[in-house]
Amino acid sequence: MTVTDQDFQLFIFALKTSSKYDFSEYSEKSLKRRLTKILADNKLNIKLLLNKIKTDPEFVEQIVKEVTVNTTELFRDPQVWHALRYTILPKLRNNSVINIWHAGCSTGQEVYSMMIVLNEIGLLDKTKIYATDINTDVIEQAQKGEYKYRFNIGYLDNFDKVIKENPYNYEEYYDVPYEKYFSINKATDTIQMHDFLRNKPIYKKHDLVKENNTLFVKFDIILCRNVIIYFNYNLQGRVFDLYHRNLYDNGCLILGMHETILGSYSVKFQKKGHAYYKA
Amino acid sequence: MNYKAVIIGGSAGSFQIVTRILNSLNPNFPLPVLLCLHRLKHVRSGFVEALSLKSNIPISEPYDKDQLKPGNAYLAPANYHMFVELANRIALSTDEPVNHSRPSIDLSFVTAANAYRDKLIGIILSGANRDGAFGLKKVVDNGGLSIVQDPQESEVKTMPTSALQLTKVDYVYTTDQIIRFLQKL
Repeated sequence: MTVTDQDFQLFIFALKTSSKYDFSEYSEKSLKRRLTKILADNKLNIKLLLNKIKTDPEFVEQIVKEVTVNTTELFRDPQVWHALRYTILPKLRNNSVINIWHAGCSTGQEVYSMMIVLNEIGLLDKTKIYATDINTDVIEQAQKGEYKYRFNIGYLDNFDKVIKENPYNYEEYYDVPYEKYFSINKATDTIQMHDFLRNKPIYKKHDLVKENNTLFVKFDIILCRNVIIYFNYNLQGRVFDLYHRNLYDNGCLILGMHETILGSYSVKFQKKGHAYYKA
Repeated sequence: MNYKAVIIGGSAGSFQIVTRILNSLNPNFPLPVLLCLHRLKHVRSGFVEALSLKSNIPISEPYDKDQLKPGNAYLAPANYHMFVELANRIALSTDEPVNHSRPSIDLSFVTAANAYRDKLIGIILSGANRDGAFGLKKVVDNGGLSIVQDPQESEVKTMPTSALQLTKVDYVYTTDQIIRFLQKL
């Protein structure tokens, strides 16, 4: 079934008027596709869907979870993690505390990636990790720290590239066993993160569309990777403003590989390698 | 000439063909060229550099919301889906893989077909899975022009054959014919 422009607008309007969620500034292509999928998965037509949105708050919560994209990987884009490990994080070595915010953390793979890198360079203890998402289901999964093994076999390659190899010196090799951070159980097809990582972050539900900084600290690094691609230009501006106000003066923002800062905020950040520093 | 964009999809066996096409285009080619090509999971970088070596037009892996310009080629970045939004802009997404692929050719073609309607030229090249067949159908359904690489000439036939099974396409062309067609635009 195809979703017409009118159906789509009615859907956005229903959510906006009968719930606290506003998707009107989400990028349309992806959202429309998700809506089509929701209708098919729940065997609903648009009329029934709109009715349920107006009358069933629990259903709305479920829809919000289905409409947001939750794909993430351990050490996605190893070159970004190289930059964090060898350039960005070492500059914070003399801080008494390092504050990091994973905004739109999804199921937590990047939160774990960060903690593993921090631990390898001896900075984990002094770092406070905050992780937020609009979807409480994915936050629960992040807290659990359990991932499918076979489906995510690429995680191990990325781990090797970031943790074992040094891209700046090919003769160096750190023989770090996976078991230092997670256990692999092939029988149950799981990767289970160890408790000292699982219990470290502070997780909180947060909606980037509407909410201010509800963590009440400023940050040295904000990671928000492949989240703003789902936002339109206006909403991106709001989010850049939020990040700009809540970064320390020498703080930086890390975006996805193919995301960039457009519009008036482009001059308020200075790009150095993979990081956008507050200018 | 009424067209507004060319979109090319390919997988295994298409790299050489795309290289030849880019090498034969006029530097003032009048349209943006969208490329959605599958690549091996571990080859996430170096692809655009390899393609640009012999390309007559600039080629890049675009950023989200980049504006499409005539005479430029845009390669779907590794591990992202590449959509075309209205107003000639790229949108990227990390949605789940479609047809085991991210980027998915179907998704790029469907969104381009929606954005450009009958002003789009869709081309499917050699490849080892069915991705792209549905997308090319959408190009045709929206009145766009469809070309499939001649399976006889394709290194891997699955992708062109699947596209031909699903849709009555305008042209089945060899690489040389595709090149000549594009040169006349």
